[in-house]
Amino acid sequence: MNGYLRLTGVSLRYGPQQEPALDEVDLEVPAGSSVAILGPSGSGKSTLLRVAAGLEEPTAGSVTLDDVDLAGTAAENRGMAMVFQRPLLFPHLDVTDNVAFADRVRGVPRRAARRRAREFLELVQLAGFERRTPRSLSGGQEQRVALARALAAEPRVLLLDEPFSALDAGLREEMYELLDELRLRLSPTILLVTHDHREADALGDTVAVLDGGRLLQSGPMRQLYTRPASLAVSRLLGGRNEIAGEVRGGWHHSPLGVFRVATSVADGPGVLLIRQEAVELTGADADAVGTVVRVRRRGPRALVTVEVGGPDRPGTARVTAELGPGLQLEVGRDVGLRLPAEALAVVAGNARQDGVEADPVESVDDGQR
Amino acid sequence: MTLGARRLLPGLALLLLAAWFVLPLVPLALWGLADRWSAPAVLPQEWGLSGVAEAAEQGAGSGVVGSLALGGLVAMLATPLGALAGRALASRHLPASVLVGAVLLSPLVVPPFVVAMGFDVLLLRLAVPAWAGVVLLLTVAALPYTTYVMRTAYGGYDQGFDDEARTLGASPRQVVRLVQVPVLTPALAAAAFLAFLVGWSDYVVTVLVGGGRLVTLPLLVASATSAVGNEAQVAALSLLAVLPPLALLLIVAAIGRRGRKVRA
Amino acid sequence: MAADGPRRQPVTGLPLAAPGRRTHTAGPLHTGRSRRSPRRRALLLILPAVVPTGAVVLAALTSALLSSLGLTPLVGQPRLTLDPWRAPTDHLWTAAGLSVAIATAATVLAALVGLATALAITGRRRSGRLLALLSSATIPVPHVVGAAAVGLLLADAGFLPRVLGVETGWPPLVGGRWWIAVVAEYAWKESAFIALVVSSALASRVASYRDTAIVLGARPWARLRYVTLPLAAPALVASAGISFVYVLGSYEVAWLLGRPSPEPLPVLAFRLFTSLELTARPEAAAVAVATAALALAAVAVAAAALRRMEGWR
Repeated sequence: MNGYLRLTGVSLRYGPQQEPALDEVDLEVPAGSSVAILGPSGSGKSTLLRVAAGLEEPTAGSVTLDDVDLAGTAAENRGMAMVFQRPLLFPHLDVTDNVAFADRVRGVPRRAARRRAREFLELVQLAGFERRTPRSLSGGQEQRVALARALAAEPRVLLLDEPFSALDAGLREEMYELLDELRLRLSPTILLVTHDHREADALGDTVAVLDGGRLLQSGPMRQLYTRPASLAVSRLLGGRNEIAGEVRGGWHHSPLGVFRVATSVADGPGVLLIRQEAVELTGADADAVGTVVRVRRRGPRALVTVEVGGPDRPGTARVTAELGPGLQLEVGRDVGLRLPAEALAVVAGNARQDGVEADPVESVDDGQR
Repeated sequence: MTLGARRLLPGLALLLLAAWFVLPLVPLALWGLADRWSAPAVLPQEWGLSGVAEAAEQGAGSGVVGSLALGGLVAMLATPLGALAGRALASRHLPASVLVGAVLLSPLVVPPFVVAMGFDVLLLRLAVPAWAGVVLLLTVAALPYTTYVMRTAYGGYDQGFDDEARTLGASPRQVVRLVQVPVLTPALAAAAFLAFLVGWSDYVVTVLVGGGRLVTLPLLVASATSAVGNEAQVAALSLLAVLPPLALLLIVAAIGRRGRKVRA
Repeated sequence: MAADGPRRQPVTGLPLAAPGRRTHTAGPLHTGRSRRSPRRRALLLILPAVVPTGAVVLAALTSALLSSLGLTPLVGQPRLTLDPWRAPTDHLWTAAGLSVAIATAATVLAALVGLATALAITGRRRSGRLLALLSSATIPVPHVVGAAAVGLLLADAGFLPRVLGVETGWPPLVGGRWWIAVVAEYAWKESAFIALVVSSALASRVASYRDTAIVLGARPWARLRYVTLPLAAPALVASAGISFVYVLGSYEVAWLLGRPSPEPLPVLAFRLFTSLELTARPEAAAVAVATAALALAAVAVAAAALRRMEGWR
């Protein structure tokens, strides 16, 4: 168990005319760690997983496991196991035999394979379900069996392809906890893909953001939240505030005011980013003052949009902030905003531009690369 | 096993399988275009269409008309009935659905010659015209196929389409006409094709119940085959019996492809 | 369903047939013309198909049975007798044995070829599509034409001996002792049918299960044994059962390509039925009933095998 998976310069093109599905992706999954690949649908994240598993062959680049190049190693001999979004339990086998599948195809006698399968069923808290048919299980139970089946293969790397996205919120939460527990007990190496930044945060030690087949940024989720390397990353992570302005000598100028730029950004147009959770609404000591123009309810919390800009500055800027539970604000109120310096990030370029920045691959955690 | 053999074997198996399906049709095509082809020559010595001319003399024209009429009638009857039955079976509301399903599949189990022999006496006593008796028996023989195809189609049909159409203001009739039929067109085409084939290909029911008054291509092929020394005629009649349904198959396949494209 | 009894709609007072969700929709949508219960609607939909089918099959079987017991003679008084069953007894047993042997040989061959074809069609190679095309092209070929074609291929001046360059000593495949041409024709046509059924059963799901098996470490043979074959088995058993019953009751191929004697069941029945002797009709009916009984037994075996696999789908 516990392999060290490394992808180097992996590219995949289905045809010479087509856009690459994967474009020079570098990724490391240290032994025992969990890396989440975050990307929208069509970003190539599932393809990346299939390349790692050996189900697709990359047109360029290499996949190594514990420094052994896997090129030419068939998928079934790679010692990986994968859980798909659909559980895909074999319909002709009962729960135990599904979990025992990997052992059986390796020639382990049926009795021994089943005994081991029962242990893994206990591990995913499904003791007592041994003789059930897949059809009699609920969605959450099916996915638990799929997880047990993958773990029973004793993979050196466990690949998870959006395994929980078909489950409802409560079950998903249970599965996160189950996976946490499994990591404590077995510490498998995990590479998973998801489109949900909260899931990436819940399951990954580090997160790699993929879009259009290219790796945009990777690092611990905290850093991705506070220091997104590009507008695309910020948006994928659910960031709502993009304030266009200009960088001059390490300071960002915009209708919001002037703020210190923490990372080195060249002079020119730049966009100030701050997460809505980090913006504080305050009466005194404000970095900027504005008027509430919109309030959107989102469960216990609300999203408040404040327009900043006055006669003394040209233009306006809109900042969205999260309002804690129990607090009320109505449209038209004047409020102060506090923008903590450690939560501010600036990326070069214009905010309206939907495109990806010039050189988006910037790893926050330099030790990773 | 060497790497070369491992690569070669699947290709060889594919080739053998392809030969298995194609080989019997090769002499048919060759004989159909041969004027003279005596043994042991591998290819005909003289090419020509004398077989077709002979076949025409033997009444191939009326055989085509008879087969077309029989296949067409069976398709026209068995397709709508199978569609209704398929819908009922897929609805899950049907009482005694196991029994009903068994009855509908029974023509697959009871051989057609048994049904024809048993029913022949009754048809004679009831003075049903021979052609109507043949159509009735073959429609019953085709119903398992049409019902099965339509049941599968309705089973995969999302009830949500109907509900959506109703909430958008469509009457139940309009739902059928504007939603169900277009969505199910590929399945209807496939069911109609299978029913047509039952009528088009039948031999034993046509002979036993039709009593020789109904002439179809299979009857002509059989009588030509049972005689000796007229291979060209056999081949010509056979090709005549194969090409129309083959053309229909291509049409049905095209409809199916279009249906898949629409839904994708 | 019992647990949520109070929520059940008392639409018609009939117990609702289907368990679960669907029966609870009798809200505002079910007003006006659709107040008719879904059960009655389903019944009305199925009657036009079930009534003629049931009537024809039941009437035919009853009529054949009565005839075989001497109760509906064409001339003379009805009299209950087992004579028609006894008369061709030795024929009957020989014919039944021969029919079962032909049907078994043809079905086994067709199942093997059909399964191999289905695997090739659903495999990863692109040439599978060509094979799908070729095999489905034989589906619309009438069996009579198939018999004519196999005759032209396998007869002693046929295409195959010419291609192989055998001028003398070609074994009597058509009309010979071993019924080779008959079995070949049935196997040819039915293998295409089995390939069609099995490949469409596999097509929709085999790819995803294959990937799952691969990542769990199953090599090609293990995948075939533990995944693909079990997934194909229900469709294979069902289609092979249908093929067996079809061959058992099919007349024209055995008549055209077989030898005059002994006769398989359908050929025997046909000859007796069309014979000029009036006493032969009840004997034909006896052979017909025996064939139907054999077919029913075969279907029962296949159904039992299928039931054991229930839940696989």
